[in-house]
Amino acid sequence: MALFAVLQTTFLLTLLPLRTYQSEVLSEPLPLTPESLKVSINSTKQCLHLQWTVHNLDYHQELKMVFQIQISRFKASNVIWMGNYSTTVKRNQVLHWSWESELPLECAIHFVRMRTMVDDARIPAPRFWSNWSSWEKADAQNSLGDHPLYVFPKDKLVEEGSDVTICYISRNHQDNISCYLEDELTYGKQLDQNVWAFKLKNVSFHRKTGTNFYCKGQGVPEGVVLFVSKVLEEPKDFSCETRDLKTVTCTWDPGSDTGLIQLPSYTLFESFSGKKTLCKHRNRCDWQVTQDSQEVYNFTLVAENYFRKRSVSILFNLIHGVHPLAPYNLFPKSVSATNATMSWKVSSIGHNSALLCQLQLLGEGKVIQQHNISVRVNGEYLLSELKPDTEYVARVHCAYADHFWKWSELISQNFTTAEAAPSEAPDVWRDVTFVSGHPTVTLFWKPLSKVHTNGKILFYNVVVENLDEPSSLEVLSVPAPANSTKVTLNRSSYQIYVTAHNSVGPSPASAVAISGHPENENVEEGRVNGTEDGFHMSWKPQSRNATGYVVEWCDDPQNLPCVLQWKNLGPTNTGTVISSDAFRPGVRYDFRIYEISAKGMAHLLEKKAGYLKELAPSYNPEVATINLTSHSFTLSWKDYSTESQTGFIQGYYVYLKSKTGEKCHREFEKTVLPDNSVGCKYTIDNPDQKTFVVKDLQPESVYEFFVTPYTSAGEGPLDDFTKVTTPDDYSHILTHIILPMIFCVLVVTITCYLKSQWLKDKCYPDIPDPYKSSVLSLIKFKENPHITIMNVNDCVPDAIEVVNKPEGSKIQFIGTRKSPTETKGTKPVYLDLLPTEKNYSGPGPCICFENFTYNQAASDLGYCGHFPVTPQAPHCQLGPLTSPENLLKTLEQNYMNSLGEIPAGEANLNYVSQLASPMSGDKESPPANPPEPALCSEYKMQMAIPLGLASPAPSKNSSLSSTALLDPSEHCH
Amino acid sequence: MNERIGREVRDLMLTSDFFLPAPFCLLALLLPPLPLGAPMSTAESVKQAYNLALHMQTQTSTLLQTYVSDGPAAFGSPHSHLSLSLVQLQHQSTPFSDPDFSLPELKLRTLPPTAMHFENWHGLEDAVRLSLTHEAFLSFSQHLLLAIVDQSNLNPDNSMVENQLWEERLKAKGLAGNLAGIMTALGLPTPPANPPLGTVPLGNTAFQKKCRGYVIVRDYGLWTDRVVTFLGELKDKYSQ
Repeated sequence: MALFAVLQTTFLLTLLPLRTYQSEVLSEPLPLTPESLKVSINSTKQCLHLQWTVHNLDYHQELKMVFQIQISRFKASNVIWMGNYSTTVKRNQVLHWSWESELPLECAIHFVRMRTMVDDARIPAPRFWSNWSSWEKADAQNSLGDHPLYVFPKDKLVEEGSDVTICYISRNHQDNISCYLEDELTYGKQLDQNVWAFKLKNVSFHRKTGTNFYCKGQGVPEGVVLFVSKVLEEPKDFSCETRDLKTVTCTWDPGSDTGLIQLPSYTLFESFSGKKTLCKHRNRCDWQVTQDSQEVYNFTLVAENYFRKRSVSILFNLIHGVHPLAPYNLFPKSVSATNATMSWKVSSIGHNSALLCQLQLLGEGKVIQQHNISVRVNGEYLLSELKPDTEYVARVHCAYADHFWKWSELISQNFTTAEAAPSEAPDVWRDVTFVSGHPTVTLFWKPLSKVHTNGKILFYNVVVENLDEPSSLEVLSVPAPANSTKVTLNRSSYQIYVTAHNSVGPSPASAVAISGHPENENVEEGRVNGTEDGFHMSWKPQSRNATGYVVEWCDDPQNLPCVLQWKNLGPTNTGTVISSDAFRPGVRYDFRIYEISAKGMAHLLEKKAGYLKELAPSYNPEVATINLTSHSFTLSWKDYSTESQTGFIQGYYVYLKSKTGEKCHREFEKTVLPDNSVGCKYTIDNPDQKTFVVKDLQPESVYEFFVTPYTSAGEGPLDDFTKVTTPDDYSHILTHIILPMIFCVLVVTITCYLKSQWLKDKCYPDIPDPYKSSVLSLIKFKENPHITIMNVNDCVPDAIEVVNKPEGSKIQFIGTRKSPTETKGTKPVYLDLLPTEKNYSGPGPCICFENFTYNQAASDLGYCGHFPVTPQAPHCQLGPLTSPENLLKTLEQNYMNSLGEIPAGEANLNYVSQLASPMSGDKESPPANPPEPALCSEYKMQMAIPLGLASPAPSKNSSLSSTALLDPSEHCH
Repeated sequence: MNERIGREVRDLMLTSDFFLPAPFCLLALLLPPLPLGAPMSTAESVKQAYNLALHMQTQTSTLLQTYVSDGPAAFGSPHSHLSLSLVQLQHQSTPFSDPDFSLPELKLRTLPPTAMHFENWHGLEDAVRLSLTHEAFLSFSQHLLLAIVDQSNLNPDNSMVENQLWEERLKAKGLAGNLAGIMTALGLPTPPANPPLGTVPLGNTAFQKKCRGYVIVRDYGLWTDRVVTFLGELKDKYSQ
């Protein structure tokens, strides 16, 4: 039967050309066999490439055939794959087919064979396979070198998530080889004696530079690099537009990078025209519009890499996708205070198509005007209703007028309108003080708001008009940004006008009237409560013709000078809320409410004081304890001011504690203090009462007190208590009687002690003993041994005249030592022992005493002439009086000079005590024996000295002796 | 890339990361000891070459560290003693970036030999050692260029490795010039011109290229150590 079939087939094939020629429909299969099968290896793609031909086909014949292919590995019998390949075959056609091997082809020998069968509808069934071709071997190992270890595939490119098989060939069977994917040991499967395979599943992307797979035994490691690509994503947001109707730009989001050095390619196809272009960027592509007036485009974007091809399509209408370029050269052509003409240009589209431009005007970041203008090349628009001296932003964008699709990008330009005169009068208020009866007015004004300045305010003009003298006007110019000025006026009525000026002109004027006379400050003074909103205050209008009211206050009254604040209110207002960010709790604010008369004069209506929020007093008064007795004492804190506290002082708490813990006194109540101690508390509810008498106390007891004020918010801080100890009952006697007495005695004692010398001089002065005088020895030794001491008892005075000399003269006499020339004119103080003849001028002995106690004249001569005693003389003539002779000469001379100068009535009895203190200022006293002069007296010439006694004093001692007569210090001996 | 390869040292200095003061010093070191005015003495030539070799020695460890690791160079790692080649290894991933990575058995036959025992090397005459060293660094300058090409293909986005390799190549050429100057000063025969490199093994796969770069950088470091010692001896010898 088989033989019959073969014969039949052969017969039919013989007839085939003829039948083909006669009819295109064959009814029987043809026995064709693949020939010249060649197998090659593509290592890069790991493909087995098969190439063969089919002979015995007619010259013009085309047959659809099926080729069955078998692939074996390592040996022919080990078939690992079998499949069919169908194609249409022509005569002498070389057929190609590839098979991609999972296992790297270098690691194994592959064998391939195939057979064929006609599968053409023109050949009637039954159909038969041809015989198998012979096995063709594909052996890549022949090309390997002599290295002991090889790893394959080389530099394979794989997609993330796919499976990869890696193999190694080891020439050294004894070598123990370990393989690693990156740093992870990998286990494989032995395929042959020296071949191992590793199947890596679901490979992941590590880095752009590939993933290392390496094996190492005893020798040099060997490895491959797997280049893993992320899956190519489909382009997203694919869209196209044109900006000038000449070029279409398509954009898309390519998605994440594939992570390969080899980037995917992007190609743009247009199906209507059949054109395509390779995109230069991975997210954008330009398409040139041709002149064939094609309006609709069917774009397809194809993204392609080694593994995948992704595509997206879009139908694009050129007219509907116009996105004009941004306009340019926008600028304000002309700008006035309220208008501005904006000009700009646009890029032309197509054949001079029109664009719809939108001009927006922004002020302070908000669009305040918006205008649509049709533009072909140049755009221009007049913006009006602008504010003077205001910065604006003009911006413009355009769209295609024929079919709006998208605005162009915006361009913007800033400009500022010109200035105009201020549109509103400044808000002016005044503060009037009277200095020497003349009003001094401080004018305050608030800066105009930006809306009204219309430019930069340069200065303020203040015009002072004397209403009593209409012709006199005084103009002051105050440079900005000052907001006040001071004007001194006379006692006249004035009208003051204030205007604000910018570079264009002045504002309307604000007028303030000043009466020139002090205001009536005696107005009702009340309190106002503060709330979160501020101070709610109301007032009673006094006049029906009031044109308005003004409330003034200081924002920060604790810091001077006061920054005056005010609020203008209309004539219908009888109340308002004063609020300010500067208001703080615990600060007293004083408000003054003025009523503005029809003449613009302000009259003080009310005063109000209030706290935004009252706080407890922040400190306590300093309390003094007075009138302390054994049963009471008085507390006083009169210096404590109730005005400058953190709330209205409502009164005071007086806390009292006693050591003995007794019961509280009458009017006190027992209370627990903040420190948990128990005390007594007395409440003074009159804030003006700043004294308190604590009564009914025990003598010799310790009490502690503490005074704190309180407001509606609470009392002051808890300070330390002050201790007071009450005295016993007799202590006041000690205080009021004994102590003053002791004091007086002490004063008297000290005074007596200090004035003891004076008292001694006054009460019991020392009486000098003439026998002990040193003068006596001098006289004895020098000249006349017969001279003796005069006995007072032997002297019978004829007359004695005592003239009282004022004390001051003596003091002057003693305390002053003047030169002889200076003393010439002075009137000497002396004692006169008057002889019978009043005017004695002859020579003779004379005794003269400078002693108030007594005076003695020499009686043995029978007379005693006037001998003027000049206290200064001995000192002043110290130099020349180095001998008794000189001394006597001097005495005589002084006497003679003095006779005519001293009136008789002034003669007096002079006595100088020997204990009188020397003059400390005596510069001529000898430096030796410095303490001695303190004991010396001013006792002088208490003995009679005959005139002829004078003789020179050649020796130093004599000189000293002579001097001793005159120098009180010599009396110390 | 080929265009870039073709650049001369002058271009490299303009384009690479020569923004630190050190390169200016390096520039002075690289200047060939050719007589501008008065001829440079042997001692000065040796000293200049020695200073350059010392500078190269400090940089080789950084280069190797960068080469082997996964990211930017991490100083102080176990590879810090081999700086230059590490630059490359830093970017080659494991196993190159493994802390204990070492391939002593991996050789590149076109590279100057490193296997000579120190005693043998030390026993050679100065003229011979100078000639061998000069030849070696000329060869390294070419191999480093090859490594640059490999890295530009493997890591096109990483200019760090390439820049360091360019810098080392410049130094290698500069040191070869200095050595030639010493030889001239000593009256030794002028060294031959740059010999052709020929085919270099280990270039078939990406993995092999990584290995090749590693060996080049590693051996470059070994030769740098060797030349520092050698020039140190010469410096002592001619400075007396």
